[in-house]
Parts: sequence; C-alpha cells; structure tokens
Amino acid sequence: MPTAFVVTEDGLVLEGRSVAADGTALGEMVFTTGMTGYQEAVTDPSYHGQLLTFAAPMIGNYGAGESAMESDRAWTPGVVMSRAGNGPGSGGPVGWCDWLRAQGVVAVEDVDTRRLVRHLRDRGAMRGGISTELGPEELIARVKEHPSLDGRDLTPEVAGPRRIMGTDGPRVVAIDCGMKRSIAEGLVRAGCRLEIVPAGTSAQEILALDPDGIFLSNGPGDPAAVTPVIATVRELLGTRPLFGICLGHQMLAHALGLRTEKLPFGHRGANHPVRRTDDDRVEVTVQNHGYAVVGDALPDGVEVTRVSLFDGSVEGLAAPELRAFSVQYHPEASPGPHDARYLFSSFIETVA
Amino acid sequence: MTGEPVKQLVDADQFRRTVARIAHEIVERHADPAGVALVGIRTRGVPLAARLVEHIERFTGIRPALGSVDIALYRDDVSSGALPVVGETDLPFPVSERSIILVDDVLYTGRTIRAAIDALFDYGRPPLVQLAVLVDRGHRELPIRPDFVGRNLPTSRNERVRVRLAEIDGEDEIQLVNQETA
Repeated sequence: MPTAFVVTEDGLVLEGRSVAADGTALGEMVFTTGMTGYQEAVTDPSYHGQLLTFAAPMIGNYGAGESAMESDRAWTPGVVMSRAGNGPGSGGPVGWCDWLRAQGVVAVEDVDTRRLVRHLRDRGAMRGGISTELGPEELIARVKEHPSLDGRDLTPEVAGPRRIMGTDGPRVVAIDCGMKRSIAEGLVRAGCRLEIVPAGTSAQEILALDPDGIFLSNGPGDPAAVTPVIATVRELLGTRPLFGICLGHQMLAHALGLRTEKLPFGHRGANHPVRRTDDDRVEVTVQNHGYAVVGDALPDGVEVTRVSLFDGSVEGLAAPELRAFSVQYHPEASPGPHDARYLFSSFIETVA
Repeated sequence: MTGEPVKQLVDADQFRRTVARIAHEIVERHADPAGVALVGIRTRGVPLAARLVEHIERFTGIRPALGSVDIALYRDDVSSGALPVVGETDLPFPVSERSIILVDDVLYTGRTIRAAIDALFDYGRPPLVQLAVLVDRGHRELPIRPDFVGRNLPTSRNERVRVRLAEIDGEDEIQLVNQETA
C-alpha cells in the first residue's frame, strides 16, 4: 500500500497508508468520536468541505452498502483512520475501503489519529490535507491556498431537487440545505406529508404550497453566511409553526437576531449529553456541528431550551409566540441513541 | 429436438467483428468516452469489457474506465445449500460520476443483470447504467433489456448458449449446446 500524508495548515505532518482513491483532498480537518455510522457520516451533506478523522480506532468493520446512504454520494473528500476494515458485514455487502474508492474519497489508515485529535483539540479546527501524490511541504502549501470554511455558504452545492415523501397527515415543507435522508424519514414516520424544496426557494413560493408547518434542515458551511435562507426564515417566522435541526437551528437563531460563533473544535459524535432547561432531564445526543449559537443577550420571547453538558453551549432554542423551536443536535441519530426522537412527533403535534 | 449436441453459431472472425461493432455503437452513443466506465460481470463479462475498452481507445484516442463486478452475493436464485463463492468487485473510478455500461456474455433471464445493478448501487449511484451483451438468447424473467447487443439468438430453454473466450477458454466462439442430447 502506498504511503500517504496527512497535514494541517500549522505544520503537523503524519504518515499513513492509502486505502481508497488516489489523489489529494483538502478541507477543514475535523474529528468525530462516533464508533459506528461511518458511511452515514461521510454521506451526510453537513460534512461537505471537511476532512473527517475518526477518533475510534477501528472503522469500517461491518461493511458498507446502499442502505446506509444519507444522501446520493459521499461529501467528505477525505477520511483519516487508525485502522480501516474492508470486509462485508451487517452494514452491507461492500468493503468500506472499496466503497470509499468507488466514491472517489481519499482515505488513509495507520495514522496516529490520537495525536491528530489532540492537536485539533488543543489548537482548534483548522484546514488540512490528505494526499497520496504530494510530499508534506507541497501539501501544506496547497492547504494554505485552500479557502477556509468560515464565511462560506455551501447550501446551494448540496441541496437536492424538489421532492415529496409521505402521503398522509399535515403538510410540512422542508427547506433542504443538505438534508440527511433519515431526518426526512423521521418527519414522515411521525406522520406528515413532506414536501422538500431546495435552499433558495423564496418565502412566497413556500407559503404558496400552503404548508401546515415548516422545517429547516441540517447542512454544511458557516451558518452566518447562509444569508439568503436566513432572510427567507425571517419572512416565514410567525406564519407557520417552525422546527429546525443543526444548521436549521442556527439559521433560526440568526433570523431571531442572535449570532453564531465557531466552536474551538466542534461537537461531533454520538454521546453528547444535553440538559433540557425546563425539566433538567438529560438526553444523550448525536451531534455534528462546528459553530454554536451565542446565548447571551436573548431577545424578548426567545428561550434557551437545551444546554450542552460538555461545554455549556446552546443546544436548543424556542420562540413560543412565534411557534418556532430548534435543536442543535440530531434527533434522527443515524447512527446513535434515540433519546431525542420524540422531537419529530412534538413538531408534528404542533402542526396537526 | 434432435441434431448435433454442440453447434458452432459464431466463429472467431465473426466474434471479433461483433465485439468491434458493439464498441462502435458505444462510441456513437457516448460523445465523451472519458465519462464512461465499462464494468464486466464475472466471469466472461470481464475480458469482454476489457476488449471493448481497447477498441474504444483505438477508435477515439480516449480510454474509458474499466471495472468488474462479482454478483455471487446478490443472486436471488442461488439454490439453498450451494454457498456462493465471493469474488472480487473492482470499481477504480468514482461510480457516482460515470455513465456505466455493464458487460456480460449472455443475457438470459435478466437475474444476473438485476444482481449486478444491485451491486453497483451498493457502491454508489451512477447517473446512467446501460447494458451490453454479446448474446441475447431471450426468456427474460425481469423487465430488463440490453442497450447494445452482439447477436440475437432465439433459443429454447433446454438449449444452452456457450460463449468461449480466448482469454479464458483458448479461443473465441459461440456455441449452442443441446442439453437433451449432450
């Protein structure tokens, strides 16, 4: 297996072995602590533009296949692992490395991922590169030329076409900013007819569909930069009940006059405890976000409903008079604990 | 039905002309061979796909990607007891970004092709999938049709079409085998 290099913009150089496509992948280097759901993670459009390091030591040990796709393709251009499996299993009949290669993802194993994760935790998320063809110095130079994720609206690149799921129940229109398939399935399972429209659809077009409720999806990039959708959300606020997840939560916050800031190294994993402020119960949640809503100076009528037990950051918002609420974490899991799945039903109950 | 048990239907010369003609048809329908990948279905589809790639490169100067799928795991008609032998699937190109032409020697019930499509979709979602076969012998059990056909050979169910390839069997020919008398 050929040698590959993993670098960060501040000069960390690690070596590994290429296990998938040849080439060079550049992006924001992030890590997830999830032990399962590797295929769901790389097909989650929220990872568009990011290189994903798996902190868990063994990844790919139960195969890959069509059933674990969260979208039509892999979005993360590069994957860093300590050890990569490549056999069939309960996740599908395809080997993980073979699947990554067929998706054109540059992936390496035998990398000291503990060192890389500690580096990112100490110094914060930063740009990185993985290459099977460039030496470390040239690769670092390319990484420094690559645009940072900050200030970039990536939603037009990941939004899917207009589509309808489900047949019965209230009508919900979802604004697709890179929506995971299992979020759409979670809404439909809770009992609604879901019409998904791409980011960029105007408030007038959405209201013309006569929805009973509006959903704001997850997605990639810097939430502060998604100004067209934030403007749409501002127009929609108060007209219909509204629910947002992840980027949808952050866009709702901006529309309510709050702001977001970059977290030092993000929340990515399947074991993030979150406290509900109303009853002090704790949910163990799945998370994938690099930015968080700033909770000081809340406008009248806006409440923080969820708080991270790891760092105290805002994990949920509500504006009861505007019939809007949101969570930063992922109630659909896929993969992870189902503690928060009730949120889909809570939303459908408010629109029914 | 009586008659000789094994009959040669296509000799080596005709065989090579047929493969070349399929390659021409692929070029005619795909203006940019760089966006195409030929994927052979194991076993005999693999050398056929490789030959088509050679022809297309000779005709256009552009070499399409080449891959293979093994569909043993995906067959829905494997009789119980006989464990399928898992071979190698090799798709060394971004599956979601190529028009894929599946290549097989004989199209019969269509179950192999269905299995091959299932296998492809476990690796990714290609924008277009087509099918090239050397022989279409009829008797479809699924709504599957070829896009490129070497020979249409109407057969009865107790006959077998045997494609022999130089790479595997030492010579190129297509035979009709009567299983009642063979």
